[in-house]
Amino acid sequence: MPVRRSLFAASLGDLERAVMKVLWASRPGQSVRQVRDALDTERVLAYTTVLTVLDRLAKKHLVTRVRTGRAWSYSAAASREELTAGWMRRSLETHDDVDRRAAMLYFLDGATQDELADLRAALTEVEQRHLG
Amino acid sequence: MSALLLALWAAMMAYAAPRALSRLRWPRRSPRAALLLWQATGLSAVLAALLTVPAAVLPRLLTGPDEPRSWDGWLLTGLVVATAATAGILLVLLRTGHRVGTGLRRLRREHRELLDLVAIPPPSGHDASEDWRVLDAPGRTAYCLPGLRHRLVLSRGAVASLHREELRAVIAHERSHIRARHDLVLELFTVLHQSVPRRLRARDGMREVQLLIEALADRAAMAVTGPLPLARALVVMAEPSTGAPGPPVSTEGALGAGRHTRTRLELILESDRPHLVGAATLITAAAVITLSPVLLVWPSV
Repeated sequence: MPVRRSLFAASLGDLERAVMKVLWASRPGQSVRQVRDALDTERVLAYTTVLTVLDRLAKKHLVTRVRTGRAWSYSAAASREELTAGWMRRSLETHDDVDRRAAMLYFLDGATQDELADLRAALTEVEQRHLG
Repeated sequence: MSALLLALWAAMMAYAAPRALSRLRWPRRSPRAALLLWQATGLSAVLAALLTVPAAVLPRLLTGPDEPRSWDGWLLTGLVVATAATAGILLVLLRTGHRVGTGLRRLRREHRELLDLVAIPPPSGHDASEDWRVLDAPGRTAYCLPGLRHRLVLSRGAVASLHREELRAVIAHERSHIRARHDLVLELFTVLHQSVPRRLRARDGMREVQLLIEALADRAAMAVTGPLPLARALVVMAEPSTGAPGPPVSTEGALGAGRHTRTRLELILESDRPHLVGAATLITAAAVITLSPVLLVWPSV
């Protein structure tokens, strides 16, 4: 992941992350101005920049927006924990078995509850071989 | 004739060879050489399949038809059929390659974008500049998103359960996947696998390749930490953490995947013995198999 850089080099991903952090830490129904003011950046961002980021996040269903009067107010669609949990569940379920395994390379892939005793025995053997 | 031999060879490489190879145990002790052999069988099958029809048609074209003119129509028809068949095979390969390639990259991109939003840096005590991130999710998982914009992820449960050296082993294992671009090897095999008609696919072959790639990454991890931390990490990650689901359940069923873990532990156990004869055998076989289609075409040219 990119190391923190100056604002001019900040990628859209960095901004999205910063905006999500603000929304997670705030009450629901934030205005663009409120989000912009709460952003922890070296310089104040343009209104349109923050609006663009919020728009992108809304399209990704990470942020919900409600029209209040003439303006929109924004809220995080789910807490960080809910987002992580729901997304992890989804990514484990679907996709053709081959695709998932090829897309992400897991350290351990597959349930091994049945073979745990077997595994522990094999580990003991490894330890004896390399420690004894 | 050559064409028949080539067709038989292609069928053998695509259908019989994966099944036979995946029954052998000893190649796993030389995972890199074994993967070379697997790649050779796959590419040899493709080569033979593409050469089959030209091998049938070209001899007639080169020597010229010494039959009476009435055969020209047949020859032309034969040529059209030949081109169509070869083009058909190429088309299947290219289409599958495109589908698999774009699918994989789209999956990874979506995953990466979400990851960049929710993942957090390693907890205190670990070097903050390290390039891996923590997912605030229950259970013990560790994985990498390979490719140019790679990511390395461990779950909070995994970081909490692993001792320092074990963590190093897991990270070294995933890093070797990223650095050695194992994702490209897997992609090649996925494309070959899915190019074969569904009922004829050798699923054992695909699983064996996955195991070999894990064994290769295990070797890289052992070069960093030695065998013990890696072995311990494997067992720790396999244990379900209290109140949380275990590692991702393979849709193929626990037995298939569980065998992998057990096999990996056995390979770690045997890792201190080099298997040069085995490796040499595999590499020689790979060379022979790669050259065979060419050798089969030769007489007719």
